[in-house]
Amino acid sequence: MKERQFMGFRRPDGRVGVRNYLAIIPSVFCANTTVERIAAQVPGSVPLTHPVGCAQVGLDLDLTARTLCAMGTHPNVGAVLVVSLGCERFRPEELVEAVRKSGKPVRSLCIQEEGGTTNTIEKGVRVARDLMALIETQQREPCSVRDLIVATKCGGTDATSGLAANPVVGNMSDRIVAYGGSVILSELNELLGTEEMLARRAVTPEVAEKVRKAIREIENMLKHSIDPSLGDNRNQLISPGNFAGGVSSVVEKALGGVLKSGTSPIVNVLPYATAPQKGEHGLFLMAYESHDGEVVTGEIGCGAQLVAFTTGRGNPTGHPLAPVLKVTGNAKTYHAMAENFDFDASPVISEGRTIESLGDALFEQVIAVAEGKATQAEKIGGRELFCIARRVGYHRP
Amino acid sequence: MLRKSLMIDPADSVAMVLEDSREGDRIQTPRGEVTLREDVEFAHKVAVVPLHKGDPVIKYHEEIGYALTDIPVGTWIHRHNMGCDRGRK
Repeated sequence: MKERQFMGFRRPDGRVGVRNYLAIIPSVFCANTTVERIAAQVPGSVPLTHPVGCAQVGLDLDLTARTLCAMGTHPNVGAVLVVSLGCERFRPEELVEAVRKSGKPVRSLCIQEEGGTTNTIEKGVRVARDLMALIETQQREPCSVRDLIVATKCGGTDATSGLAANPVVGNMSDRIVAYGGSVILSELNELLGTEEMLARRAVTPEVAEKVRKAIREIENMLKHSIDPSLGDNRNQLISPGNFAGGVSSVVEKALGGVLKSGTSPIVNVLPYATAPQKGEHGLFLMAYESHDGEVVTGEIGCGAQLVAFTTGRGNPTGHPLAPVLKVTGNAKTYHAMAENFDFDASPVISEGRTIESLGDALFEQVIAVAEGKATQAEKIGGRELFCIARRVGYHRP
Repeated sequence: MLRKSLMIDPADSVAMVLEDSREGDRIQTPRGEVTLREDVEFAHKVAVVPLHKGDPVIKYHEEIGYALTDIPVGTWIHRHNMGCDRGRK
């Protein structure tokens, strides 16, 4: 296998980060404002505010717990401060313990014990600065692309996505896998119609069946969610922007979207926000649907350190923990929203450039971003892609 | 006038126009020259073979939906004349 190195942050648990953040994580939404005010006073920290953590049961609460623990233990994070309210359903100790087990510095504060908002912010700023002092001296060192996981996602698809942006990302994905690294494909609600071609790429018949089952379950869930009494406007599976951009059906979108995964075999199907087994590398399918934020957060929860995000209509979003590279195949959109893009794949259409040459250029850009080059979404400070998946009213099969 | 277009697979029943195009404009395809029966926007699809109601619409060598009406060559294909039941029925 080919070897390629990049400069990254090696963590105590052996994983490799491409950023070195102090994550300030509320264990429940009630602590969001406190967390934001602490983070605002500590450069290098990121607030991971969210709307959940209480009044949840079963799989819904498990997804929250799994995601928060995955963010706290993520290799792009050097240290963690947990801020709790004190009475929430999700127990903050679970998050603190998970981070401690990963070997990283972690502290926690409880608003009800500290005596309210202001006291917690004051103490939180001091604790956060102490944690920053512990991690800010850590240096990058040579790491292998084997330790890299790249998430893929599209958002704001048009018909150029399947023609240029997704094939170029697919070529970059093949290069990552050729160097022993990993890539995650997901958003199963937009893979309807590709299940057999994906199953044929599975490494074993068992994995093939997992692929079919994952897509079948999502399709059944969609069918149950459709409510004809609410009218056509409430029941479309793809967006008005997709339609305007020339995509006419969810299957047409899927056949373009699946190209992001390149041509590698599918090694396994991962549950939401769940890391691959140690030693397992290659292309993975993460079994989840829903919108960009929930899918990207789940992929980052699986350990992806950066995200390749294609869009034809244009998209300004970012994630607090992982750089998100924006790629478009639409020349008009690229020029109209240049500040939101990292890579222009439109020369595939306008100049007849090859997928291979642009795939190689995108791979080099991925490595540059992994080594610290800021993406446009990072420069803008976008963090709206941090969204925790929900399963409300879910019936266990 | 002649417009840029692309058929992704020779077995496809549609081509994509790669420029905003007008009724009467022509595109060259592996299935022969096609004259547009209406205005078609950049990256949208045009029928390159005649389709009967219920026929599969093929792009990427796969079925992306089915014709809701009879569709002559050169017609813009989109959600008004193509259906897809995946995830819905």
